[in-house]
Amino acid sequence: MTYLWLAFLFVAAAIVAGVVFARQGARTGESRRHWQAVGLAFAALAVLTAVFDSVMIGMELFHYDSSHILGLTVGLAPLEDFAYPLAGVVALPGLWMWLSRRRDAVAKSNLKGLVPQAILASRPVSWINTAYPFAAAMLLTTREIDWVLILGTFYFLIPYNLAMYGINDVFDYESDLKNPRKGGIEGALLQPHLHRPMLLLAALTNVPFLLVLALAGGPAAWLSLAVSAFAVVAYSVAGLRFKERPVLDSLTSSTHFVSPAVVGLAIAGADVTPGLLILLAAFFLWGMAAHAFGAVQDIEPDRQAGIGSIATVIGARRTVRLAVVLWLVAGLAMLATPWPGPLAVIIAVPYIVNCAPYWNVTDTTAARTNTAWRRFIWLNYGSGFLVTLIFILHWSLTS
Amino acid sequence: MGVLYLVSLLLGITCMLLLDHRFRLFFWHDAKAAAIVTAVGVLFFLGWDAAGIGLGIFLRGEGTIATGILLAPELPLEEPVFLLFLTLCTMVLYTGARRLLSLAPGKRRQRERENA
Repeated sequence: MTYLWLAFLFVAAAIVAGVVFARQGARTGESRRHWQAVGLAFAALAVLTAVFDSVMIGMELFHYDSSHILGLTVGLAPLEDFAYPLAGVVALPGLWMWLSRRRDAVAKSNLKGLVPQAILASRPVSWINTAYPFAAAMLLTTREIDWVLILGTFYFLIPYNLAMYGINDVFDYESDLKNPRKGGIEGALLQPHLHRPMLLLAALTNVPFLLVLALAGGPAAWLSLAVSAFAVVAYSVAGLRFKERPVLDSLTSSTHFVSPAVVGLAIAGADVTPGLLILLAAFFLWGMAAHAFGAVQDIEPDRQAGIGSIATVIGARRTVRLAVVLWLVAGLAMLATPWPGPLAVIIAVPYIVNCAPYWNVTDTTAARTNTAWRRFIWLNYGSGFLVTLIFILHWSLTS
Repeated sequence: MGVLYLVSLLLGITCMLLLDHRFRLFFWHDAKAAAIVTAVGVLFFLGWDAAGIGLGIFLRGEGTIATGILLAPELPLEEPVFLLFLTLCTMVLYTGARRLLSLAPGKRRQRERENA
């Protein structure tokens, strides 16, 4: 049965890719003929497979572990072998049609600037915030640098952020128009004709990594990858828009940063200890506080655009106070972790100091917290430095 | 140890390229797009093979017509060549089918015009 599941996985991926390519690539009225040709080609390929796969198996070029296959055969060819030509013929002609159409002059000039836009949109200054948790979690568990660590770190460094911010900017286009803060370090307006290509780029750069990382781990990795990918999509996609649902917005945003660490731990097969859970919980509270505080500066534009957030609902003052308290609790929680974890309590201090001056902020002065938000982006680098020192100490104490 | 399988595959690839050349189907239609499709196809199938080998489903045979040279455990030299052939065959069949489908109604219309 294993082969059937494997074949199912790859055929499913091929069908998704084939349908997406065909939708993107087909000119008006071309779609029907495309699928007719796919059908004809598969009919021919199926006959060729039945004949030549049987010959190749008969010549003992390869064989299968009989416990992994269904046992149904056409000639000598196991039924599952027909999945290869099926996957190929479903996906590749669509890619061909899309590529050859894309290379037609008109479409080509339209896509100009997609990749630079995507990179700008993905906030390179914050890439490290998702790659670091994964790499640190995995490296501290396995204590070695293998291909999964490199691949996963690269995934959470770039493609993950392309998807998170790319999807966000597509669905935020309307509200971003009203927000002068977007367009620089903190985000970029994305031209409407790039919206569909951006979503396609996000899918193409993410799905292969997710599949490979899932294959590298067990059920815990599958679950954490699924939660991670869901949080990325659900945060901003039309229909879900978790970012507009108070409290859920902060929870989802924090998941964006904590889930890479959980994925790293799951793939590495880490032991679940109370200390580890407290660490993750503190990290999660830190992430919630960061999101809540970030939402304060946008209270006015968000309310004008009719968008809800934790800050528009409970107000600027209470959101700032909540963020300070969350950082305080996150710091204090670290005191309950094994040595050298308690050292991390000092990391909470700069965040609290940065935001405490706004303890009495009002909704009308909320925009002023942008000053602290800009400092916050750089504070994270300092915190990363301190966290790294603590990890190195932990490493040297436990090896 | 033999080269029959490898030679057959290379012959098959040659035949696909001859068809491609004769009817300007794939590489002779848009070389850059064809190169990308071929690379994606071969890498996709190789990934599938790797997964199957990793899970212990695919086992190399001891057939006498194969060279016996291995690129990786259970992955013979001939496998990527076969996957290249499969990708080319798929694309030649598809582009050929598209050509036939676009020719057929055109001819019919032409005949209808002649009859009218």
